[in-house]
Amino acid sequence: MINKDTLDKILSRVEKPARYIGNEINSYSKDTKDVKVRFAFAFPDIYEVGMSHLGLHILYSLLNEREDVFCERVFAPWVDMEYELRKHNIPLYALESKEPINKFDFVGFTLQYEMSYTNVLNMLDLAHIPLFSKDRKEEDPFIVAGGPCVYNPEPLADIIDFFVIGESEELILEIIEVYEKWKESNRTREEFLEEISQIQGVYVPKFYEVIYNQDGTIKEFKPKSEKYPNVIKKRIIKNLDEVHFPDRVIVPYIETVHDRVMLEIFRGCTRGCRFCQAGMIYRPVRERSVDKLLDYAQKLIETTGHEEISLSSLSTSDYSRLEELVKSLINKFKDKMIGLSLPSLRLDSFSLDIIQEIQKVRKTGLTFAPEAGSQRLRDIINKGINEEDLINSVRDAFYLGWSTVKLYFMIGLPYENYDDILGIKDLAYKVKDIYFGLPKDKRKGNLKVTVSTSCFVPKPFTPFQWFGQNTVETFKEKQRFLANNIRDKKITYNFHDSELSFLEAVFARGDRRLSKALIRAWQKGCKFDGWADHFNYEKWMETFRETGIDPSFYANRHREYDEILPWDFIDVGVSKKYLINENEKAKKGILTRDCRKGCTGCGINISFTGGVC
Amino acid sequence: MGTIRVRFSKKDDMKYISHLDLMRLFQRAFRRADIPVKYSQGFNPHPKFSLATALPIGVTSDGEYMDVELENDIDKDEFINKLNDVLPDGIKILSGKYIKTSKSLMSLIEWSDYIIEFYITGNISKEDVENCIGKILKKDKIYVKKVKIKNKKEIIKEVDIRSGIRNLKLLVIEGKRVIIKATLKSGSKGNLKPRYIIDVMKKIGNMEIVDDSIKIHRLELYSQKNNKLVSPLDCE
Repeated sequence: MINKDTLDKILSRVEKPARYIGNEINSYSKDTKDVKVRFAFAFPDIYEVGMSHLGLHILYSLLNEREDVFCERVFAPWVDMEYELRKHNIPLYALESKEPINKFDFVGFTLQYEMSYTNVLNMLDLAHIPLFSKDRKEEDPFIVAGGPCVYNPEPLADIIDFFVIGESEELILEIIEVYEKWKESNRTREEFLEEISQIQGVYVPKFYEVIYNQDGTIKEFKPKSEKYPNVIKKRIIKNLDEVHFPDRVIVPYIETVHDRVMLEIFRGCTRGCRFCQAGMIYRPVRERSVDKLLDYAQKLIETTGHEEISLSSLSTSDYSRLEELVKSLINKFKDKMIGLSLPSLRLDSFSLDIIQEIQKVRKTGLTFAPEAGSQRLRDIINKGINEEDLINSVRDAFYLGWSTVKLYFMIGLPYENYDDILGIKDLAYKVKDIYFGLPKDKRKGNLKVTVSTSCFVPKPFTPFQWFGQNTVETFKEKQRFLANNIRDKKITYNFHDSELSFLEAVFARGDRRLSKALIRAWQKGCKFDGWADHFNYEKWMETFRETGIDPSFYANRHREYDEILPWDFIDVGVSKKYLINENEKAKKGILTRDCRKGCTGCGINISFTGGVC
Repeated sequence: MGTIRVRFSKKDDMKYISHLDLMRLFQRAFRRADIPVKYSQGFNPHPKFSLATALPIGVTSDGEYMDVELENDIDKDEFINKLNDVLPDGIKILSGKYIKTSKSLMSLIEWSDYIIEFYITGNISKEDVENCIGKILKKDKIYVKKVKIKNKKEIIKEVDIRSGIRNLKLLVIEGKRVIIKATLKSGSKGNLKPRYIIDVMKKIGNMEIVDDSIKIHRLELYSQKNNKLVSPLDCE
């Protein structure tokens, strides 16, 4: 355990010291002598971000329910704390026991976004754990990673010992079983990795080799021995009602990004938006029952005292019994002054009624995500909304008293042209016209329309995985074009940093040759790349020059269908044939229906659920 | 329907959480403990409770106070026990009683007792410290630099803080370790942060105080009646 006095002195000097104290309500404390396995759940960003992540709470509770396992948390220390830790030579410690994580059995990172990769390295270094998997010795912990980014694990292949692909509630326990036996048997690290490589969902990168073509593309990706699987199949939980869900979660002392009860209502999405990775990798759709959800809600409110419940899923409106659930929750909790928030809600008449009923403060902003400015482009990306629906929803909202509207779009989508970008402007102006078209006494508040554009990042396992991303210059030109066209005091235009999106694209579709670039960038001081104040594009470009890596090879290059992609060896259940077919339909602007209305043949029901979704 | 006033402590790691964090912590603790706190009316109902004064981050305390308005009365001890059962380590309700006064807790508070502990470099005797304290208390005016942030700009002002110091007393001197007790202005009618006493002792007594050795603990909060200090629990 680290010295209490030293820690006390350090904490009095850093910003938000409560990030580093642990001991929150519902956190676990165990006698470390009584446990066989010590697991550090590592989130490569600050406490406030990490604590808002539902996956952390699920796995923390799942692992700690076992008496022989102690799961603790560790987050990326903010730069002031990092300075103090390094200055006093204090290794990165876990919040619960305040013991250094390099003495643990596992350090498990969750990878939620590519721009956190340098933080993974920084945390390993702060923990005095070797950065390269090959340099770790018997006394070092196993470094494991999961989360959405590991559907292309390759950029971290040299760093992470093994990956867990997919939903890990069952998988992690299987690994722990193997580990406990291995630990008693005095065998090598290698032998443990060999054994777990046989479990579905586990990928041990060092057991595979990649051979490249002259042009840098992959010639062959293969296991180094026949005993390792050729294809790594993701894991899913078949029945959400039977899997562990926490009935008590940690209540943070400081305000976090999502500081409330999170109820996961279902996994997967049936919409089939062609840009969306989550919509493909999390298939099939599986819902929790209303009864279960009400039961969890009750227990979670009792154990946390939270004042708000939020429903969590990729698309709240698609929950088949939403009305029943929402009405039950309102009835159950309205006297207890507990608010309900419904993110990712599609706005139709039902949802506006519901929102009206649950809004604690009525006139907070409404957010719409048309994603693209023209119907043509919305059809290309299979975003199944049309302008009329949007206009009607906005009009209804204005009638009901809203006056702040946010509109989200992407620029740089495949097959986009400047007319599509002008469409963004047109839509914003139409929203404004609707407001001023209302009779004066019906207009409430002061109209404010915010248009935000992000830069499209093509992701693995989407129909656009072959698409060459727009260059930084093109993005900037398009942003300027739109900014010059939006000239209205009521409309604000914000856009995302194209350089950051470029880097995100490099790592999203990168291969294992990028590991060395990551390490070099980290050596140059890159960390917290997702934070605008910390992101340093120049350092990254220097890194690529020095390591002989062409980042545009990964981000901007168009791929042919027959190219071996770095993530092809992972089976997410959605077939490559389906993705190709979807991309071809995109070119022609042909829509694919929501698969709740009939199977669209993505393949998930063949490989995973045996015929039914 | 009544209002209960409690005294509580905020110690150990809980000294690192801010005033707003503490407000949220109590709000959630009330719900976990199933205490029938009264809520305000309107679109955004919030629980009706108030804290006496904000304690700076890093300062521990045995003398914090809170008023809680209840929807229906519950036994005072039940209130305290239920709440203590769900509060985190470091925060504890020490005592309480139903009050009738309509005066807000915040407006009652005028003074705080602090225990300030620190280490010094160099040598110092009991007399040196006592002389320093004597000098401070004899002065009519004591100017310190106060940094205020207005519109993101730092504004440094020289302020006289003498009237904020009611008393200073040396409690312990053991080698290089010094403990003093300070009674300082607190509350909405003026507030003197205990940190300034350190600055003043450095300046007036030429004491070389080790900055990261300073520990500050609030002992008690007071209201004032006929120039006497009165506990907020006895303010009726």
